[in-house]
Amino acid sequence: MSGDHHHDHDDELALRAAALEAVLVEKGLLTTDQVDAIVEHYERDLGPQNGARVVARAWVDPAYRQRLRSDGAAAIRELGYGGFEGGTMVVVENTPDVHNVVVCTLCSCYPWPVLGLPPSWYKSPAYRARAVAEPRAVLREFGVELPAETEIRVWDSTSEVRYLVVPQRPEGADGLSEDELAALVTRDSMIGTGLALEPGA
Amino acid sequence: MGGMHGFGAVVTPGSDRAAEHPWELRVFALSTLVGIHGIGAGSGRAIREEMPPADYLAAGYYERWLWSTEQRLVRRGTVGERDVDGWVERLRRGDAAPRREDPQAARLAVEATGQGSPLPQALSARFAVGDRARARRMRPAGHTRCPRYVRGVAGVVEAVRGVDAFPDIGPYEGPEEPVYAVAFASSDLFGPSDEGEWTVLLDLFESYLEPA
Repeated sequence: MSGDHHHDHDDELALRAAALEAVLVEKGLLTTDQVDAIVEHYERDLGPQNGARVVARAWVDPAYRQRLRSDGAAAIRELGYGGFEGGTMVVVENTPDVHNVVVCTLCSCYPWPVLGLPPSWYKSPAYRARAVAEPRAVLREFGVELPAETEIRVWDSTSEVRYLVVPQRPEGADGLSEDELAALVTRDSMIGTGLALEPGA
Repeated sequence: MGGMHGFGAVVTPGSDRAAEHPWELRVFALSTLVGIHGIGAGSGRAIREEMPPADYLAAGYYERWLWSTEQRLVRRGTVGERDVDGWVERLRRGDAAPRREDPQAARLAVEATGQGSPLPQALSARFAVGDRARARRMRPAGHTRCPRYVRGVAGVVEAVRGVDAFPDIGPYEGPEEPVYAVAFASSDLFGPSDEGEWTVLLDLFESYLEPA
């Protein structure tokens, strides 16, 4: 398949998407600025910056961490995040002994309120096929090498439950503020395909 | 797709972004609005799985969403079968797409995406935490939330997540039943591996499970 072919195909899809929007606007079923507003909301307001705040709070506040574990969605709502794909949240914690990884082998289930829309690799057939069947090989592609004795737990998001990983708090982060801690929390560390950043890294 | 071979690397150039083209996020928004306004039939997730497998794999992610969104609208009768083709032709000829603005409606639509309610608690459940349960062998004809790689394999119930509408009978229209987090040993699912052992956990509806 040539590059031009791909390009033509993308143009056709862009045209069909615009046509679908035109039909719905013409029929008065939705407005242009509704579409704009949803796109903007998911691009600007929702994203890993939200999940990072949840993780940083869990790192500094043991009582909050406890609430996160017992009712994830309610504890996340305390910080103002919730909505579609976040009604039921299970928060799992990485420790020196256990490393959690999240996947959706059936489609692309992902906790939108705390992580935004998933990156392409999360939705790819490769990740969906391999994360459950060779997690260490997948983690290695992300630069994560875990000790052989670490138990890996792969969560396949097959129901309406959505998962958020609390990564291990890095060494040397003791004197940091909650905001500074949040800056160490990457999207991938909350999926389980990454680790939190080291301070000053 | 769990366990399939041949898809290559997970991390590839550009794979870190949610979308490659602006139209993809507009399709995401259209799909979301179809749900909020209740103007489509069925579930996008279930309808996307009706794509022939070869087409499904060849299609891009938001290409599938574009297809399923149009399908939902056509099946509901909200949009006629030729309506989108008609506008494709008009846009190709250079006609301007219609625009409508309503800031209040835009604000309400964003607010609606903030709705999310937890699964109700299960008042009775066939399996208890610690029970062994086996995913049934089955071959459902339509949408299911029981992946093939787990069928016939036994695991241990780790949690009762709550109750939800059984998704296999019509899209998410079945009777409510308990959903369990079940932990499976990797060697039971996939046989021996040079990676050693790990645990795979799935949230499975009660009807998918039998005592083991």
